[in-house]
Amino acid sequence: MSVAQRFRVAADIGGTFTDIVFQDSATGGCEAVKLLSTPTNPAEAVIRGVVSFLPGDAQMDFFVHGTTVGLNALLTRTGARVALLTTENFRDIYTIQGNDRGEIFSIRWNKPPPLVPLEHTYTVRERISGSGEVVQQLDVAEIDAFADVVEAKGYEALAVCFLFSFKNPVHELAVETRLKERLPGLDIALSHRVSPEWREFERTSTTVMDSYLAPVVRKYLTSLVGGLEARLPEGHALHVMESNGGVMSATSASKSPLQTLLSGPVGGAIGGKALSHATGRPNLICIDMGGTSFDASLVIDGKPSSSNEATIEGLPVQMSVVDIHVIGAGGGSIAWEEADAVRVGPQSAGSDPGPICYGKGGEKPTVSDANIVLRRIDGANFSDKEMQLDAGAAERALAEMGSRFGMSALEMAQGVVDIINSKMADAIRTITIRRGIDPRDFTLAAFGGAGPAQAAALAEELEICEVIIPVHPGAFSAWGMLQTDIRHDFKETLYGSWDSFEPAYLEDRFAALEQEGHIYLSGEGIGEGDVKFERSADFRYQGQEYVLTIPVPKGTIDLQEVRSRFDQAYERQYGHSSPESRMELANIRVAAFGILARPDYAEPATGTLGKPRSRKVYFSGVEHDTSILDRDGVLPESPVIGPAIIEEGTATTLVPPGWRAELIEGGHLILEAER
Amino acid sequence: MTREADPITTEVVRNFVTSCAEDMNAALWRSAYSAVIYEGRDSAVALLDADGNMLGQSTGVPLFVGAIDACVHQIMDYYGSDMAPGDIFVMNDSYMQGTHLHDITAVGPIFFEGNLVGFGAARAHWGDIGAIDPGSTMGSTDIYQEGLRLGPTRIVDDGKPIREWYDLLRLNTRLPDMSIGDLNAQIASIRTGQRRLTQLLNRIGADTYRSACLNIFEQARRLDREAIAALEDGVYSREGYLDDDGVGSEPVKVALTLEIRGEEMIVDLDGTSGPVLGSVNCGAVQTKSLLRLAYKTMINPDRAITGGSFETMAVRIPDSCLFNAKEPAACEWYFTGLGLLADLMISCMSEAMPERATAAHYGDSMVSCFFSVDPDRGQWIAIEPTAGGWGARVDGDGESALINLVNGGFRNISAEVYETKFPVRVEEFSLRRDSGGPGCWRGGCGVVRRFRLLESCFGALWFERSKTTAWGLAGGADGQGPANTIILPDGSKEHPLKMRAREFPAGTIIETMTGGGGGYGDPMSRPFEYVAKDVLQGYVSAEAAKSRYGVAFQGNGTIDKEASLVRTVG
Repeated sequence: MSVAQRFRVAADIGGTFTDIVFQDSATGGCEAVKLLSTPTNPAEAVIRGVVSFLPGDAQMDFFVHGTTVGLNALLTRTGARVALLTTENFRDIYTIQGNDRGEIFSIRWNKPPPLVPLEHTYTVRERISGSGEVVQQLDVAEIDAFADVVEAKGYEALAVCFLFSFKNPVHELAVETRLKERLPGLDIALSHRVSPEWREFERTSTTVMDSYLAPVVRKYLTSLVGGLEARLPEGHALHVMESNGGVMSATSASKSPLQTLLSGPVGGAIGGKALSHATGRPNLICIDMGGTSFDASLVIDGKPSSSNEATIEGLPVQMSVVDIHVIGAGGGSIAWEEADAVRVGPQSAGSDPGPICYGKGGEKPTVSDANIVLRRIDGANFSDKEMQLDAGAAERALAEMGSRFGMSALEMAQGVVDIINSKMADAIRTITIRRGIDPRDFTLAAFGGAGPAQAAALAEELEICEVIIPVHPGAFSAWGMLQTDIRHDFKETLYGSWDSFEPAYLEDRFAALEQEGHIYLSGEGIGEGDVKFERSADFRYQGQEYVLTIPVPKGTIDLQEVRSRFDQAYERQYGHSSPESRMELANIRVAAFGILARPDYAEPATGTLGKPRSRKVYFSGVEHDTSILDRDGVLPESPVIGPAIIEEGTATTLVPPGWRAELIEGGHLILEAER
Repeated sequence: MTREADPITTEVVRNFVTSCAEDMNAALWRSAYSAVIYEGRDSAVALLDADGNMLGQSTGVPLFVGAIDACVHQIMDYYGSDMAPGDIFVMNDSYMQGTHLHDITAVGPIFFEGNLVGFGAARAHWGDIGAIDPGSTMGSTDIYQEGLRLGPTRIVDDGKPIREWYDLLRLNTRLPDMSIGDLNAQIASIRTGQRRLTQLLNRIGADTYRSACLNIFEQARRLDREAIAALEDGVYSREGYLDDDGVGSEPVKVALTLEIRGEEMIVDLDGTSGPVLGSVNCGAVQTKSLLRLAYKTMINPDRAITGGSFETMAVRIPDSCLFNAKEPAACEWYFTGLGLLADLMISCMSEAMPERATAAHYGDSMVSCFFSVDPDRGQWIAIEPTAGGWGARVDGDGESALINLVNGGFRNISAEVYETKFPVRVEEFSLRRDSGGPGCWRGGCGVVRRFRLLESCFGALWFERSKTTAWGLAGGADGQGPANTIILPDGSKEHPLKMRAREFPAGTIIETMTGGGGGYGDPMSRPFEYVAKDVLQGYVSAEAAKSRYGVAFQGNGTIDKEASLVRTVG
């Protein structure tokens, strides 16, 4: 009798496609599938994919997915009807925001509209001081009057943010207690719970966003759990990617819906982390280039670069997020003219109508059209041959545009590609050089439908010598999700001069956060032996505003040791440090990890060398005889010398003259500039 | 077009100059020592061509948008061909560069294969430049009280710092390490620009680069000419008054005339007050820079600023003028008059460009400052500009609680941070109801910020624009001006707008209120439901809805159409 196969499954739900990767739990072998997304109920595509590709008797050991449900609700402003309750005299802080002008040369700029407008914002008399003392007692009669309003107006959720509640939550808790009695079933988010961190506007914004997303995310998760429950063994939870790059159970996600906000986009960066470990390359610049957007992120010393605050749709969120820099550049970026100049992007033809070569009514030449004119993309072998591309139409459009500048179609096509490359290189400079990081110390990891075609040229712009094109570049985010662990972040605002703290007191505060972590992880079904904590704290020199987050080693805290770590980190970041200045502590943080068991990835099967093919392709304006290979026809220890093109179902890898490609362990391709 | 650089190279160079300036600015912000630079972003950098024309720039303070090329020209005039690779020049004189002495402009020539190919420049605000008071002085009456003056000065010779000049700088500031640290950050920024330009020139060559730059200038010039040619010719005038000169004078007149003639705009400040005793005088270079900023908010605001950008605008400033500061006029608060000047310019342009018309904003930085110099209880300083209301537009309400035009990315200090760091409690931070000028489109509201001093300390205020508040356009009404109240523990009240530092006892309450923006169009044509929403949201009181908009409400909050005035069609 055969034992039923068991799988670990990861799904990445995008706007156009849903990618699912199945990993055989016993062998570690992976298979990727791509389905059209179902935007009205994104769970549908996932359920359909799992049900139709998983053998009937197979079980899922683990299921994780990245969802954009929360993000979409935010982008389309279709979240819950929320009431906001604040301290008296501070009703307007969420609408006032930070006072800064988003565009400094504009006199027409408007602040991003808040998720709760002023007419749904209420106040009560209460005040906690900066040291946590009650300055003004909360009046229960006012809470009762507020409850009447909430009931009458039929709000779906309530966000409460009082000044200094992170110092003393007594008033926020009193509101919760009273309203739970009066209005059972109402979703209530308290700011000291969602984000126990100072800065009232940012904390309010974070709390409101949590309330705003809660009903939407919960409904979606319930539908997904319902559809997949039968395939999950008893006691195995369904998991969701978190914005911080970890995963959490669907139950936890329902409790802190905000954490799913960047669940979708974070997949690529997490794939980068897995790739970094798998290939032994600690520093990666990860680029994910699709049809409309170009996402860049960094892996430094094997960890995705992250920050403790993000701004989404102009609204701040106090939570740990993987840093992703997005610009409007992709295969669909449109070339246009202005005052005798050629511009490319940021407008995109998207997938509908798409580039001219799709033949779906697109009329403006795009980056993909340029690539097809340069013969880098094979019109007949595109997207698993599901789609025929119209190279002639693309060429006519670029020839017409070129004629206005005295250029041929080929020259214009090369120009469009050069311009988009210089923009993408600039996006990478933003997250490297402008933060004091030298991109030449990194390997470039390129994925997404359009990434592998531009990778070598981008590397040349940035003087990067090595490029990795991972396995399954089209479903790379889902692949990476299989490598994550449970993670949840805890924090406390502790302000003061660092040398005024007692190490034993700090140890107590960290231990208290870790205790919360234990409780959380045990709720996630993690055994005591698989629990791990990372401590860190936010520091700055006295008088400064911005902080740097510095790891704090476990065990007795050596104040001087942490101090010099901060000076060193400051030196790295800013080029100088001030060891003689006083250092301030602002927040302490604990990241709690629950380590999940997983098999190693298996070597993908290599195919056989097909019939040698070649065609003429343009690189930097010069025509080259170029050999064409299938990805599974690239064999170990037989490097491919450029110019060459390596084709697979969802991506085309360019190996320009002067570059070579080699298959390495794990089935990844390494491209190297020959020096 | 028979130029050497094809449109593709031109576009790559266009992306390069902006990207290069961003890199230069990042280098400055990353390595500066003063928080006012890396957090307040009081700085600007630029990459210029060999003739000193602006190519790419990046700035934290929009006010500096068009001032750096003038500094480079002055350095070129002074030194001529006496420049070598590795040289760095600095200057800060108010009459040469136009701003206060705190702003130090550093410039370095860039050579490629032995020829001058351009300049890198970085301006930054230094914390102390040896004025009569630490930091910013509020009461200066001549420039000699404001600190050290430097004309064009070579401070690094062929890569080698000139020791005597560094010593001279160190000996003339209360913050020598910080100031030299900031200077080094400026030099690092210029070196970043030199490095990146050299990399590009190695690839495309100096001739192609030069021709691409000419194309970029030509394209910018053409876009601006087309925009101005499309406007109807005409002459537009406006005037207003500053409350005083900072040391208690009568109101100070500011007048501006704008003429549009073909493809050109001529701005004339004739009629403006002569120089004043207090420190609101401003140098001609910075005056022009401000007018460029105002121009840019209206003409091709989405396009990058390059050397071709402002050739369509001529500026005439009378010889003896508030905005043409000459020795020994004090200039520390030079930007106060510029806020009013920008509003006048934008209003004149609004007449010529009704489709972008925008009413006046609340107008100045509105600074509040609390500090303690008591060594026993700890020294601290809390200083911040305050947000206010912006003018309504032809197609929308003005924004509320936004920082003023000459500032940019400044964010208010959070109440929780304020009370944690300083012995001051923020008791209120809210929108100032009814401060926005009524109109078909309403002006934005100012803010109320109320502080309670928990310990005795010093307080100082610099608020402006109570005489000429933010005016409305096309029938829109003016916004309210600023208003401050100090309540001492004995219950006595004062209402100062500008106040030099003085000590207050614990328990003092200081409430600041900033002005609102001007309205646009007849308030009687603002739709009922907009007024109703304003009342619901707290921008407008029920009384003002009735008296200013003619909209009455019933007891249950719904509109009483009987008692309301009939809407004129908007």
